[in-house]
Amino acid sequence: MRKFFSLGLVHGLLWQILGTAIGIGILTGIRQLLGLAAWKAEPAIVFGALLGAMFFLYGVGVLDDWIRVAAGKEVPEHVDESGLGWRRYYGASLDHKVIGIQYLTLSLVLMVVGGTFALIFRTELANTGMQFLTLMEYNTLMSLHGIVMIVGILIGIAAFMNYLVPLLIGARDMAFPRLNAFAFWLAVPAGIILLSSLALGGFDTGWTGYPPLSVRAPIGMQMFFLGVSLAGFSTILGSLNIIVTIIRQRAPGMTPFRMPIFIWASIATSIISLTATQLIGLSFQMVMFQRLFGMGFFDPGKGGNPILFQHLFWFYSHPAVYVFVLPGLGLISEMLPVFTRKPLFGYKWVAISSIAIALIGFLVWGHHMFASGMAEYLRVPFMYSTLLVAVPTGVKFFSWLGTLWRGKITYEAPMLFLLAGIVVFLIGGLTGPPNATVSTDLHLTDTYFIVGHFHDTMFGGYVFPFFAAIYYWFPKMTGRRLNEKLGKLHFWLMAPAFIVLSLVMMRVGMLGMRRRIADYDPALNFVIDNKIMTMAAFIIALGVLVFLINVFWSIRKGEVATGNLWNSRSPEWQVPSPMPIYNYEKPFEVVGEPYDYGLPGSVYVKFKESE
Amino acid sequence: MRHVVIITILVIASTFLIHTGLTNIGLLPAEASAQSVEIDQLFGIYTWMISALFSLIMVVLVYCLIVFRRRKGETGDGAYITGNSALEIAWTAIPLILVVILAYIGGKSLGVIRRVDPSAMKVKVIAGQWYWQYQYPEYGVSSTDLYLPVGHQIDLLMTSNDVIHSFWVPEFRVKQDLVPGRTTELRITPTLIGEYKVRCAELCGTRHAYMEGLVNVVSQADFDKWISEQQSAAPADPALRGQQLAQDYGCANCHSSDGSEKIGPTWQHLYQSNVELSDGTSVVADDNYLKTAIVNSNLQIVKSFPANVMPDFSNTLDQTMVESLVAYIKTLK
Amino acid sequence: MEQQDKSSALLLGFLVFGALAVLTAVEFVLALTIKLWQFLVLIPLIKAGLVLYYYMHISRLFEADLDSDHESYTYKLLSNRIGLWLFLLSDAFIFGGLLLSRINLLGLTRPDLNQVLGLAVTSILLISSFFANRAEILMEFGDRKQFIINIAITMGLGILFLVGVLGVEWRLAPFGPADSIQGAIFYVMTGFHAFHVLTGVIFLAIVLRNGSRGLYSTERHWAVEACVVYWHFVDVVWFFFYPALYLIGTLAK
Repeated sequence: MRKFFSLGLVHGLLWQILGTAIGIGILTGIRQLLGLAAWKAEPAIVFGALLGAMFFLYGVGVLDDWIRVAAGKEVPEHVDESGLGWRRYYGASLDHKVIGIQYLTLSLVLMVVGGTFALIFRTELANTGMQFLTLMEYNTLMSLHGIVMIVGILIGIAAFMNYLVPLLIGARDMAFPRLNAFAFWLAVPAGIILLSSLALGGFDTGWTGYPPLSVRAPIGMQMFFLGVSLAGFSTILGSLNIIVTIIRQRAPGMTPFRMPIFIWASIATSIISLTATQLIGLSFQMVMFQRLFGMGFFDPGKGGNPILFQHLFWFYSHPAVYVFVLPGLGLISEMLPVFTRKPLFGYKWVAISSIAIALIGFLVWGHHMFASGMAEYLRVPFMYSTLLVAVPTGVKFFSWLGTLWRGKITYEAPMLFLLAGIVVFLIGGLTGPPNATVSTDLHLTDTYFIVGHFHDTMFGGYVFPFFAAIYYWFPKMTGRRLNEKLGKLHFWLMAPAFIVLSLVMMRVGMLGMRRRIADYDPALNFVIDNKIMTMAAFIIALGVLVFLINVFWSIRKGEVATGNLWNSRSPEWQVPSPMPIYNYEKPFEVVGEPYDYGLPGSVYVKFKESE
Repeated sequence: MRHVVIITILVIASTFLIHTGLTNIGLLPAEASAQSVEIDQLFGIYTWMISALFSLIMVVLVYCLIVFRRRKGETGDGAYITGNSALEIAWTAIPLILVVILAYIGGKSLGVIRRVDPSAMKVKVIAGQWYWQYQYPEYGVSSTDLYLPVGHQIDLLMTSNDVIHSFWVPEFRVKQDLVPGRTTELRITPTLIGEYKVRCAELCGTRHAYMEGLVNVVSQADFDKWISEQQSAAPADPALRGQQLAQDYGCANCHSSDGSEKIGPTWQHLYQSNVELSDGTSVVADDNYLKTAIVNSNLQIVKSFPANVMPDFSNTLDQTMVESLVAYIKTLK
Repeated sequence: MEQQDKSSALLLGFLVFGALAVLTAVEFVLALTIKLWQFLVLIPLIKAGLVLYYYMHISRLFEADLDSDHESYTYKLLSNRIGLWLFLLSDAFIFGGLLLSRINLLGLTRPDLNQVLGLAVTSILLISSFFANRAEILMEFGDRKQFIINIAITMGLGILFLVGVLGVEWRLAPFGPADSIQGAIFYVMTGFHAFHVLTGVIFLAIVLRNGSRGLYSTERHWAVEACVVYWHFVDVVWFFFYPALYLIGTLAK
């Protein structure tokens, strides 16, 4: 019992409850002192939630060392966690591998939760008329599906960046291990606050939270704003850590163009995360202030401008989608050479393409606003910049084809998911230009075509590569393989069903089905399409279930795999699995190119012999 | 090389196959506006582009997966090819040129669909949760159905009473958001007589899915007939006028006339009744109270009803209209 | 940082402060006379450049490592510096977003604010930056006693700034946050900035306390450097917020 309560997570949750209660009390007290009506639910709950998150961070233990430093005490640089066993995973560990797995677990939880929401509302949509959900419930589940998946994706890419970056560059850990732990644990109360919106009336705005609608939505709206702001802050701190680690902690000989390609993807991703995320925080906080203090930023009656919100919001949220896909595309580039036994074709071009996508991605946000009423003269420039992004993206596709050409290809589970990623991202990418072009977009925007487009890009750029990466690096994390048969079953359930889903989405969108609708007119003849989409969603869920069973079973009973299972040249596969706690007892030096498969006698890294 | 020949043939075949497939399964609604004709041409170009590029990459991909798979017993690595600068430059430059061309075509297309016609008829569109309202200022007519004469450009001058909505008739293709506090504009030239539906295309609250209205494209003669019908239909009796206004402006969506519970207080028995307000005071619902409640609704909120929900009608309803509404409310005993 | 002796370093700090003060005065006069917004954007940029180079020592980011051992203090010092600057870069985006919002919502109008108060709080913050710079120099040269005095003055002026903005300005403003768009913008910009000043004051308090207990030395005083650089950043933000709120544009009717 005592052991349970000493787990960081449990400790944190208890403190979060305490902090929430104290926050509510303080706010109510202040209102009383100011002579206002003491109890007002919204400000009290918002402040309570915020304080609860801060108390959680204290309770889980990520603030302890910093408090000690502030108090002038000595704090050891490294902590030996080798004796702590599984308990490390439930508390504030400083080991990037533990934190990576913590992130991974949280992301899987969020994706299952977000996916379940989708199953619920897809069931509702399989027939016209409202079967079992109220309109507000539908809108809330649909909105939460969106944001929970988005946060889940951010957490998932943090998982792989945290786990892999130090390993790939030969570092002992991240540059700032405590900041790393803090950033992870901040995401936990953020997720809780986000999901608490369900209990506080929900919200009916979609994940985009546009005012004026979001100003008049229930209290759940504030939990959405606050949860996302906190998750955003977590992302910012994480990306800061990644950038400094890559700049400062590389092994000797690892010049920029000898870094694994995933490192380039991580830099590009982190540049965006570090900077643009602040704008979604700002836009959300401004709506929060409008609701709490009556500040009329987006209220035309007070001289405000609803479209300003959209500019601030999309200035982040467009680059954000490149945050979602750049790591996954980097993972495809990273793993493909291993399964084709050939160098990554045009490595330098691929590296630069990630940076190019990130930079151009800052200039395109207006394509979400072609119908918004923004200044007309802005439409054409945004169309040009948006279409431009296709160029570096195309470079990646052609490079992958070049990597496959004249290779010696095998089809293990990771490779199947990589291929699914490529095909699905291709469909998503090709449906981009009609959206980028203003006149066609005026038909397509706010329809299921867009929903199909972004599901394609998300599955292709994140979900499938993410599963590939799990099948690939699971042995490195645990010393055991995921079951190959179940992996193939997962693939054959998920990939075809998903492709069908996204194609049907795009079809009904073009024919007139708007997005974010709880119900649709039977006269539009979309019933069969909706039934197909619902069935596809359930098949995808079945695939995920197979995967989860595989994970739970394989952690304990999976086939032992302690060596270089994939025959990779990458440094982390040159030491046994699971990865030793100190990463590389003998440091290595980079003496060759990362992907020189097929070049006899070539070596990428050379480990120092012990003296 | 043998590979290149086979691949080229397969890519061309696949392009035509996919293009035929895409164009024959009916992916777009009927073309009912001049704008839709222009936009569908662009969709046509994109259908070719998507068919070709999808084929190019998929054919090469599948070809590699089959031809370059590792056969049983085969050892060793793949061919040592690190890159090819000429190819890289080619597949950067060609797409770059392609996207610039597409953007240029897109810009021209935008110019066509946004072309100004000085003789266009202006129709005001006012949206709110969850209704559409139209005013024809040239004719002094207001309606909850949108009647449009075929073959003429119409300029929709649109605004919202509350949150952001969006006007979309799929057969017309173009859509445009309605934003409170500003007027946005949509230019449509209907070309096909028929009944269409406008459905709100920007999530606007719980009943967003049901926010639809009739759009009737008719001949010029039928349109003129409808206009004169609307003009003469305005009843002389203020109470009847008020009843029509209550329908037209969406009051009836939130205020029942028969005592049933809706978002706002019922109008039955309202006149001269005692009304308890949210601040604890009590007032009599006389003419002044009703008038204020219509144009300055947040001044006095009835107890247990939410504030900031009723749209701002101060700019939409003039004095006569307000008095007609009050006259109507008085009749609800 | 080149080898300088203490007095020339202090003199440089004073000269930079002098330049900043003169530029602020020029700004104020230009706002009253010529009223061209371009100057009122150019001058803050020059001030920011001066602070970034001379007070915040941005050039230290590009110094070569003397020690390639990743575990050594000096190696980690540069990593810490990069981390801090990345954090400031990120933070700058929020302030940038606020400025853009101000431009979008207010255009070429400005809220009706007390100019004397505005100039006063601006001066207080600028002077506090001067003392922060002095404190850092003195710590670099090992003069612990003077370091403590100067950090304490910095902190005191910081608190005075907060009193001036939150205590006086906010109460004297002719509008509340909910009254008008001027009110909303004024309170959100000064509020976000004041929050950062507050965190800076807390940081200064920690450094003051630990400094007086002898925890910092010439060779190891990263906390001091970080605190002072953060403080200068907060001052730089105000270089842009001050004209944006007080000087640019005509009074809204």
